[in-house]
Amino acid sequence: MPDWKKAAYIAAQAADARVNVELEAEGMTLNIGPQHPATHGTLRIVCRLDGEQVVWADPMPGYMHRGYEKLCEVRNYPQINTLVNRIDWLGSFCNEVPFILAAEQLMEVEAPERAQWIRTIFFELGRQANLILFLGDVGTQLGAITPVFLAFRDREHVLNMIEAATGGRFHPNFDRIGGLKDDLPKGWLDETVGCMQRVEDFCDEIEDLMIGGTIFQQRTRGVGVIPAEVGLEYGLTGANIRASGVDWDLRRDAESPLAWKSADWKVVTHPDGDSFARCWVRLQEVRESARIVRQLCEGLPSGPIMAKVPKIIKVPAGEAYVETENPLGVMGYYLVSQGGLGPFRLKIRTPSFNNISIAPWVLRGVYVPDVITILASLYFILGDIDR
Amino acid sequence: MTATEAPAIEAGHHQRILDGLRRSLGGALLDSVLERGDLWVRVERAAWHQAFEAGKRQLGLTFFSFLSGIDWQPAPGLSGERTFKGEEADEAEESADEVAEVRTGIAGGATRFQVFARLYDVRRHVGVTLKADLDDADPRIGTVTDLYRGADWHEREAWEMFGFTFDGHPGLRHLYLPGEFEGHPLRKDFPLLSREVKPWPGLVNVEQIPAHLDPKNQPAPPAAEPAPVDEAAPAEAPAPAADADGGAG
Amino acid sequence: MGLVEKGLLPKPLTKLLNTARSYSLWVYQWGLACCAIEMGAAFGSPRYDVMRLGVIPFPASARQADFVCVSGTATDKMAPPIRRLYEQMPDPKYVISMGSCANSGGPYWDSYSVLKGVDQIIPVDVYVPGCPPRPEALLEGIVLLQMKIRNEDMAERWRGEPLVVRGGLDHGAVPEEKKVAVLKTRKKNPAPA
Repeated sequence: MPDWKKAAYIAAQAADARVNVELEAEGMTLNIGPQHPATHGTLRIVCRLDGEQVVWADPMPGYMHRGYEKLCEVRNYPQINTLVNRIDWLGSFCNEVPFILAAEQLMEVEAPERAQWIRTIFFELGRQANLILFLGDVGTQLGAITPVFLAFRDREHVLNMIEAATGGRFHPNFDRIGGLKDDLPKGWLDETVGCMQRVEDFCDEIEDLMIGGTIFQQRTRGVGVIPAEVGLEYGLTGANIRASGVDWDLRRDAESPLAWKSADWKVVTHPDGDSFARCWVRLQEVRESARIVRQLCEGLPSGPIMAKVPKIIKVPAGEAYVETENPLGVMGYYLVSQGGLGPFRLKIRTPSFNNISIAPWVLRGVYVPDVITILASLYFILGDIDR
Repeated sequence: MTATEAPAIEAGHHQRILDGLRRSLGGALLDSVLERGDLWVRVERAAWHQAFEAGKRQLGLTFFSFLSGIDWQPAPGLSGERTFKGEEADEAEESADEVAEVRTGIAGGATRFQVFARLYDVRRHVGVTLKADLDDADPRIGTVTDLYRGADWHEREAWEMFGFTFDGHPGLRHLYLPGEFEGHPLRKDFPLLSREVKPWPGLVNVEQIPAHLDPKNQPAPPAAEPAPVDEAAPAEAPAPAADADGGAG
Repeated sequence: MGLVEKGLLPKPLTKLLNTARSYSLWVYQWGLACCAIEMGAAFGSPRYDVMRLGVIPFPASARQADFVCVSGTATDKMAPPIRRLYEQMPDPKYVISMGSCANSGGPYWDSYSVLKGVDQIIPVDVYVPGCPPRPEALLEGIVLLQMKIRNEDMAERWRGEPLVVRGGLDHGAVPEEKKVAVLKTRKKNPAPA
């Protein structure tokens, strides 16, 4: 055999051998964030990969830490109301409510019935504003660009309603200790009922376009399953825990002065606990929320909207903890007062903090594209994690 | 399940939890308060882990809500009081005795630092707040991450913000703050330097218009000639008042 | 350095280039907090559409962006990434600081972990006040930036002198002769003579 033929034969054998040998490689460290289109803000997740699978994942929050608890110690109650809006910045009114309720509990002041009903309406509008954006955003993170434009378009209708009554698109700063800042403008209730029709149309459109589609289902079904016991240990709340089958919704289960029990609506749960379940539960929550707003608008009682409270608010000494079912989960304020103009200590229990603390557990062994899917379905807002 | 069918929160559950904790802890349960539909329990430091174990395994408190700390040292300069008073009042305050007594809250407490946590039962819808006093010089307590995995991040945050050490925690490292941060921000003796440098002026917070842009200082425009009155045009009817339907939408 | 930066191109040509540049901006959305949602509404929603101004909000990365819109609270921990991002952008680059948190620290001015304004680490061209500013306010900020670009002298920019527009609120910091007249003033609030 001529030399060149021999050399070619040997080279071919060597090439074959290289392909068949197990490649020993080090794992790669992938840094997602803090600036990343798929995180709802500045969350940094460091993942250690073995090929395409995640070996461990370490979320590092704190890029939006503004020091709320310390700031609240140096402010008085009206100032805190303004500040607290900005924790969950999509459904802002919902952040004010548990804080106001805690202060009212300590002051032993009860807002009049009309104020409680209107608070509930705004709470649900905040929930819709928040979850509509979630439905659009979850599409973006899975690669579907259109839903987010639809979401922003339809969210404008809800924001219009909030702005018409409070003056602020989000961050309404409308709740006051003892009631509300202002009454509703004339014609607002009818417009809001009309707006709910648009919200329900949006839900149908998104279901048709995205959630019911094959691509979405294949990417989210069975991905990131969280069993109920693990979820409860980590403190998951809201749609995350309801998607794991736990039938728990503070609007129905806790004593609250707000008017949720005056409307007829259901709590939606899903047994699977995967990413699809979480997205689907939130979609249904928007629909139920529209139902609630419709019923409350139609049955709104008349009356005053503000109880008698002193001009300068001083909450008597004591401790109170009030939690409500916010769009992201259960949000609670532990208010420690020593009779001053501001609280002595305000511990803010935010839902996203617990929701994202499960990330190291749920992201183990998961493929890299599924990391984004799972984070999208867990749904957190950075202001909520970092406070 | 509709809202009307939900079971009401039974009154005896808080008492049941309290009795269960008392049975498990005995004398280590220092104080308890049951008021306004909520339960607070203060336990001895050594019995912290035991209380959580009793809560999780026997009393059905499977949900871990949060864990944090309170610094009971009074800091009059920090509270919202400072925002309303002017400069004269600030000077008067400084002469007063600033070191007041440490007053602790519900369920008492003997020390400056307290750790508190909240557990919840999702089936019976009752919760309990557990508190424990910590040593002022060396605030440390056992971890509960083996019982509730969610406590991991909460304990890291408490370490970061207050300086509490949790024995047995897998790794106490910074959660929110950058690695080089010094100090524990939520302690009452951690000052907010921006406020020291420039105290909040309170109600007066509008900056004056600079003199050269103030319309009062601008030269007055030459007096305009009165427009010739058109006597032939009929007087305009006043514009209709704001629409009776108000600002809809 | 090209002809434009050396000042060798005749004025009409630089004016033409500036006009072309001001209407073909790609903006990198550096959304940090609540203002990011209003920025998203301004950029992504059909109502406050920013593309009609010639600004396209979807560059593939910072290296392909003309200006960055920093919206939201800048914390101390976030400062190095912001600086790194700014350095990744190629010249000529501009910065719009959106919202009071990015302008000056905003409602968190006294916090232990918040930057008192993003202009502490990167130079800002346009400040858009508000908390959050309405999408229309951000669009006005972008229009102001476009005006600024149209009146820019690239040679001066390379020499490192800041461009200050006549009628701005600088309290006499920059002498009048050094200021630049804005070609098209807004009719409602004309700059004082």
